[in-house]
Amino acid sequence: MMHHQLALRFLCDDGGIDVIFTLQGDPSLFVASAASQLLVHMLTFSVESETTKPLSTKDGDWPACAQMIIKHIEDSLQSSSSSHIEQSLNLLTSLFGSCCDTWTEVLWLGIAKQIESFWMEETVQAHHMLAKLLLKVAWSPVFCDTESGIWALVTSALEHLTPVQAGPLAVGIVRHYNCPQDVRIQALTVLLQPMDCILRAASQPLEYAGLLDESVSDPATVESLLSSKSSCVNLLCQTLAHLEELLSQMRFSVDLPYTSLLHSLTTILQFCNGFLRPASPLGSTISRNLINCFRVQRSALDVLAALSEKKACDTLLGSLFDVLLAYLESPNTNPTVLKKTFQATSKWLVRLRELSCSNSQWQQTEKILEDVFLVLQKRLCSPCWEVRDSSLEFLTDLIKSLRDQDEFRQSLLSSEVPRLTEDLLEDPESYVRASAVTAVGHLAFITYFAPESPATGNQYNKENTVAKLHEILSTDTEGFPRRAVISIFNKWVREGCIGQLEDTEQFVSRVIQTVKHDLDWEVRLGGLELIEVFSSQTVCRLCVLNCPYTSVSAVTGCIHQNSSLLIFCRAKVFNFLFQSLCDCDQPLGQRACDILLALRCRFYPVKTLKDSQVAEDSYAGHGIAWLQRTLRQGSLAQNILTDGGNRVDFQDPESMLLALGIIDLEELHDELNKSSDHVEKSPQSLLQDILASVGTIEENEADCY
Amino acid sequence: MPEIKVTPLGAGQDVGRSCILVSIAGKNVMLDCGMHMGYNDDRRFPDFSYITQNGRLTDFLDCVIISHFHLDHCGALPYFSEMVGYDGPIYMTHPTKAICPILLEDYRKITVDKKGETNFFTSQMIKDCMKKVVAVHLHQTVQVDEELEIKAYYAGHVLGAAMFQIKVGCESVVYTGDYNMTPDRHLGAAWIDKCRPDLLITESTYATTIRDSKRCRERDFLKKVHETVERGGKVLIPVFALGRAQELCILLETFWERMNLKAPIYFSTGLTEKANHYYKLFITWTNQKIRKTFVQRNMFEFKHIKAFDRAFADNPGPMVVFATPGMLHAGQSLQIFRKWAGNEKNMVIMPGYCVQGTVGHKILSGQRKLEMEGRQILEVKMQVEYMSFSAHADAKGIMQLIRQAEPRNVLLVHGEAKKMEFLKQKIEQEFHVSCYMPANGETTTIFTNPSIPVDISLGLLKRETAIGLAPDVKKPKLMHGTLIMKDNSFRLVSPEQALKELGLAEHQLRFTCRVHIQDPRKEHETVLRVYNHLKGVLKDYSVQHLPDGSITVESILIQATAHSEDQGTKVLLVSWTYQDEELGSYLTSLLKKGLPPSTA
Repeated sequence: MMHHQLALRFLCDDGGIDVIFTLQGDPSLFVASAASQLLVHMLTFSVESETTKPLSTKDGDWPACAQMIIKHIEDSLQSSSSSHIEQSLNLLTSLFGSCCDTWTEVLWLGIAKQIESFWMEETVQAHHMLAKLLLKVAWSPVFCDTESGIWALVTSALEHLTPVQAGPLAVGIVRHYNCPQDVRIQALTVLLQPMDCILRAASQPLEYAGLLDESVSDPATVESLLSSKSSCVNLLCQTLAHLEELLSQMRFSVDLPYTSLLHSLTTILQFCNGFLRPASPLGSTISRNLINCFRVQRSALDVLAALSEKKACDTLLGSLFDVLLAYLESPNTNPTVLKKTFQATSKWLVRLRELSCSNSQWQQTEKILEDVFLVLQKRLCSPCWEVRDSSLEFLTDLIKSLRDQDEFRQSLLSSEVPRLTEDLLEDPESYVRASAVTAVGHLAFITYFAPESPATGNQYNKENTVAKLHEILSTDTEGFPRRAVISIFNKWVREGCIGQLEDTEQFVSRVIQTVKHDLDWEVRLGGLELIEVFSSQTVCRLCVLNCPYTSVSAVTGCIHQNSSLLIFCRAKVFNFLFQSLCDCDQPLGQRACDILLALRCRFYPVKTLKDSQVAEDSYAGHGIAWLQRTLRQGSLAQNILTDGGNRVDFQDPESMLLALGIIDLEELHDELNKSSDHVEKSPQSLLQDILASVGTIEENEADCY
Repeated sequence: MPEIKVTPLGAGQDVGRSCILVSIAGKNVMLDCGMHMGYNDDRRFPDFSYITQNGRLTDFLDCVIISHFHLDHCGALPYFSEMVGYDGPIYMTHPTKAICPILLEDYRKITVDKKGETNFFTSQMIKDCMKKVVAVHLHQTVQVDEELEIKAYYAGHVLGAAMFQIKVGCESVVYTGDYNMTPDRHLGAAWIDKCRPDLLITESTYATTIRDSKRCRERDFLKKVHETVERGGKVLIPVFALGRAQELCILLETFWERMNLKAPIYFSTGLTEKANHYYKLFITWTNQKIRKTFVQRNMFEFKHIKAFDRAFADNPGPMVVFATPGMLHAGQSLQIFRKWAGNEKNMVIMPGYCVQGTVGHKILSGQRKLEMEGRQILEVKMQVEYMSFSAHADAKGIMQLIRQAEPRNVLLVHGEAKKMEFLKQKIEQEFHVSCYMPANGETTTIFTNPSIPVDISLGLLKRETAIGLAPDVKKPKLMHGTLIMKDNSFRLVSPEQALKELGLAEHQLRFTCRVHIQDPRKEHETVLRVYNHLKGVLKDYSVQHLPDGSITVESILIQATAHSEDQGTKVLLVSWTYQDEELGSYLTSLLKKGLPPSTA
């Protein structure tokens, strides 16, 4: 409605606007928020549609409706009711977040003094709202000038708000591309001060540089917050969350004192597990406050993981891994904390590799890896499925990023980890079995499939592993492990690990036969993906085999076509593809259709198809309905009946070539890509629903759940 | 005044998408995190923006509690924890933790498959979410942090369903989730002790219903199945893997045994084992009868119910098949339905609610011609029956629970507004407690009157008894002292002891007041007049005229000065300590009346 002058006038002239003002304070927060949004729309629309010249602070220039709303905002801001003030702050925040026109600056100039008084006189409790509003204004292009008054206001807010209140503002300001340097330093001080206090409380005298120059900040407020348990936990969690937000920003260009930050983080983690009990009074209070605090542990580990991407001091790596290993080893570590420790360890191990490539830190790396695998052995046998699963995920992560590093492979293969991982293929918990499948699948890359591995050529082990995974694919009662197997098989085939073309053909054929009757459609979908990879690889390989140096001529092309078609037929690819086309699970139909379309392009180049009158004729009547009927009549049997009553042999290349040519795959593709909602959303279907449901709904609804 | 705030983000005057925020003594707890089965747009999940506007989610919330595994209570959990970003602890019972991911996975598969949604939570997210879950035992007091504790009570309804008591200090809230006050074939009745919470948040699905006997419905169900099988038809019962399916299986198994029926009963492949596994694992959660007979015979190992193979659907002759999923939207149940729909001898019995858009919903709404994929029309000739077996407390049950727990306030959720209104009046009349029924997004504030235990020092007690009054439980008594709040405890001690303990020096605080008197005489004469006046009036007190010209009455000091601008007015400065507050105010009011003319 707020696109029409008439609607606006109706609301303003007939008292409707007063109702909306009142609704801002509605007991339902959804109504209140909608009222606020509506006022923003009204204000914006009124100014944009009813003014012709630039606006000034004089009332007379503004359209009537805008005047009413602005007056309401000003009155509310000056009122003694905190809820009225909060409503207006909310409204202003949405306004500055959504509208970047120059008139908003005029509006801001009128209220800025009042806004500042809220923290100067501490009259408003809703500090997070003030922070949000200031951020929206600071980020608005209207105020992009570094000379603009907003920065003075931000500085004043950062000075007067407590560290907890100022945190959200500080983090938004640090990220601001146009923030003046002195304001940025002030904001960074807010964020780093708690971390600096931790460092100073932990060590006397400081071994490493602190995070902040003592002269820039007065730590008294932060120290007093750190002294009480709940405020200490709150302040640290908030600070850590803000730091993680900053560090995870790809385009964050401000350099932080990473070394000291890392030192501070390890100190926090040591406080939390009781490994550090400093003599200083503040230090011992903080250590009492933090011991066993999972919330702080989780947040600190998140920041630690994010910090691995930054260039931090290498000298601290030893102590960092000491702390991480202590967490990995301790039986008191909470499962979520353990998972985060794994994530941080894996990231720092990758970082360690980069460093040991450049420095000669190999011995240190070897020791760390040994320790990691020792603790991993223990964790793989944990009675908690969460822990076993996180351990397997950690192992997979490590293999993915470090599999080409000799030292890593040696350490891993000389440990008990590979054997324990294989044992977990029979874990009672299906999540763990699935993760074990993925880990075993990746382990194979450094054992059986790696050319330089000592285990290479151990054909028995390789076949044994493949057989085990195949067994899981055909017999596991849960979907996750089966899905994991098919996805690992896909990865193997994609990376060309299975062997020669004939081996791959046999492998694919066998897997397809297993998955085509799987009850889980995602496993079947995995089977289709396997066909996709296999078919493109087959075509490529045949091309390279037959004519490595020449372009494909008509004759050689024909030969390739025939051989690849023969291979696909032998591997029983078409049977599965056509069956999937009519699967009642839609994603399968879509994928099968895509693959068939790609195959048809290969066997019937577009030109041939377009020119061919025969193809056009044969399309007629061979759309989706015909196909559905044809395939359904076959009742998923090996062979199906065509219209003519002749049996189609899925393994006969000629029949398949013909089938590819006569089915209207484009139409089928469009049909399948319609969401299944399209049937129920059609007016006819809706009408039927409405007619049929009269009278029956109420009883049905009562028994919802 | 301490208060408890409750804001339903879902289930406020509504069934489905349960999600209730409770703020109690500075702690914020989210009760359930459900989805609405009837929607597939934004309304499907609760609007969490309300929480995020208060800062970071994980910092704001102290914990999330899930009452049971139904999707309207846990369906939004992976979205909340993995996509919105909640990183804190989630509590649920052991069976709920085991079964919840199965239903979530089922739901994810349907959404991604049928609706083609890609921006949805993944299997990995479900798993990561479940790793954040802390499983609790019944009646185990779990300390979330130093102040907040929770405790689970048996709720019936489905395997693992629990009511939760949330307690901070002496304030507490009980959230029932869904519950059932009468035992069914496999579960017991809900139970809670007389915990007298400040607030009971109860479901009210059947707020106005006194439900007919469950036996009637069971008989009806058996009769329909029996008749169909007798005439050679096939019966399809679409069910979800766990829950109602087991109850119906027990029912049919017993009936088949009693009637010596031969027609085969099948259950979807894999699911019998899974269900069996969970019921064996959590046998203590079932009802007494099942637990008792468990040693001789496991009620979930059925003699007549066999695993189903897809080839069986084409077998001639009668049979009964339990197949998943329960809304006929995909998979095995839909495949069987397609095969059997055309024969009028067959029957499909829907034992639960069906979401709009599913084949289940269409046939329950009476559609007989269904448009399937590929513009095929499926004509439904088979009989379609809907039978409710959902296990919620009825009005009688809700009243029974209130009687049992004796709450100070009641708040209704998970029901329809009209029905809630009726129940609210009934509760207020019968129990004389306030009853609330906020809509979604509305905050209800309940003021609590917590009794805070305070230790009293021996010295103070001795002093009080020395005055003559021995402590008596029945006679409350006012006592003065200094309250020391330290390390989460409160102590009342004598002011002297407090000063000593805290190492503080004593400061005297004096109240002052200026009284203007019209008197043209010299200052010392005015003082004399005042002295004489007070001496005459305050006969029992020691009134003194000091050499420096001031007057004292006990600790009260009076000095007179001439007004700087008007010599005819004298200003009397009166000051006193708090011990003499009463006398001080009496004296000032006396002086304000002026001096009697006769005193000279």
